[in-house]
Amino acid sequence: MLDLISEIKNIFKWRELLFQMVGREVKARYKQSILGYFWVVLNPLAQMLVMSFAFSLILRIPTNAASNIPYSIFLFVALLPWNLFANSLSSSARSLVDASSLITKIYFPRTILVVAAIVAKIVDFLFALIILIGYMVIYQIPINTNILWVFPIFVIQQIFTIGLSFFFAAANLLYRDIQYLLTLLLTLWMYLTPIIYPADIVPPQYKIFFQLNPLSVIVNAYRQVVLGGSPPNYTSLFIALSLSLLTFTLGLSYFKSREKIFADNI
Amino acid sequence: MTKSIIEFVNVQKDFNLTSQKTFKEFLPALFLGEKTHDSFTALSDVSFTINAGETIGIIGPNGSGKSTILKLVAKVMSPTFGKVEVHGKVSPLIELGAGFHPELTGKENVYLSGAILGLKKRQIDEHFKSIVDFAGLEEFINQPIKHFSSGMYMRLAFAVAVHVDPEILIVDEILAVGDAPFQAKCFTKMEEFKKKGVTILFVSHSLNTIQSFCTRVLYIKQGKLIADGPSSQVCQQYQNDQ
Repeated sequence: MLDLISEIKNIFKWRELLFQMVGREVKARYKQSILGYFWVVLNPLAQMLVMSFAFSLILRIPTNAASNIPYSIFLFVALLPWNLFANSLSSSARSLVDASSLITKIYFPRTILVVAAIVAKIVDFLFALIILIGYMVIYQIPINTNILWVFPIFVIQQIFTIGLSFFFAAANLLYRDIQYLLTLLLTLWMYLTPIIYPADIVPPQYKIFFQLNPLSVIVNAYRQVVLGGSPPNYTSLFIALSLSLLTFTLGLSYFKSREKIFADNI
Repeated sequence: MTKSIIEFVNVQKDFNLTSQKTFKEFLPALFLGEKTHDSFTALSDVSFTINAGETIGIIGPNGSGKSTILKLVAKVMSPTFGKVEVHGKVSPLIELGAGFHPELTGKENVYLSGAILGLKKRQIDEHFKSIVDFAGLEEFINQPIKHFSSGMYMRLAFAVAVHVDPEILIVDEILAVGDAPFQAKCFTKMEEFKKKGVTILFVSHSLNTIQSFCTRVLYIKQGKLIADGPSSQVCQQYQNDQ
């Protein structure tokens, strides 16, 4: 706990560096390619179109039965946060290794590198969100005040993401295989999370696994509050929050315990 | 009154040389009972105290542990045994431009590397003109630095680093870069720092530079502190040793 408070203070003290690091990621991407930021929007859009075709027209996966919601929107509400999670993890796993020339030369809080990688992905996410909002306006999806739940849900998602990212970033610095393992893990994880299918078609005997998967709870909660107009399942959300906080604490303490030998091993 | 600003007490630094960098190599080695790492001692039993305002040269053959000392001072590494105490803001001039991004412009990189060195945006705003002047890059400052020559790159990096206003300045062999006028500029700047009372740690293979610039010299060989004293005396000993 003490670790956590001093780390947050430290990051706050170095916030200018954090902003510069995020700016570097974002600007560099914008400059490197002709389409620049358009890729950030184009990628999920293409992904959504192809997946909608495959899973709705060919496999005919049902959406949440009651409301008359097109599959593409149903998919997108879950796919965007999932992409944010997956991209954050793979980018932060590389963040320390990519900054090896800094780590061996200059002192600054190493956690900044991980946090900056994640914040840059959040910026991407916000751009991609524009399509979703536009889409919802066109299809006139009804919303109500329950949609405000997206903010606490988003916070839970980020606590979980940062915790795991700390772990993978530090582990990948010590063993470079970790990033390949992570790619595999993320692919499997995506299918075990109700993204392309609704959570209610999961057979009851497997429900427990879905409750213990914070991503599954988070994704389902987004759907409930954005498309269903109802509040999320509080019990599930509370379990997800607890697991996220636990992951965060463990991830940060692993990171801190390895931090001293980063420069020796990179 | 002099007060100590850097203190090394019986410092030892070991490196684990992992022979297997990946699981693919590591796991079989573990099963076969092979050694998974070797240990290498880069520094052993090094003790010294540096007072505020001193200009210290560090000399020794390649691989003797000079850079390890600088990294310990910069708090990039921690000692395996012993104690390293540093009181004051350290600014490293080791291999400059580490934080630069080739796609960004000179200006953007000034702000980025300034932040890495711990400067606030406001402070960089204040010094910006003087940084660009020092580097002599007015015309190119809005160009992506991937188009810079390596000399221009180093000049910009050095210009940022000397505007940090450090209490301890770490200089590792960097003055070899740049043309003669720029080197002269760098030395003028370092003399200025010296007058201001900044503590300077200077690693170089050029004994002439060390003798003219530093008052006290540490001579390191195979991780041990061989001599610590007035520069002319220690440089003489180092030359006799060769």
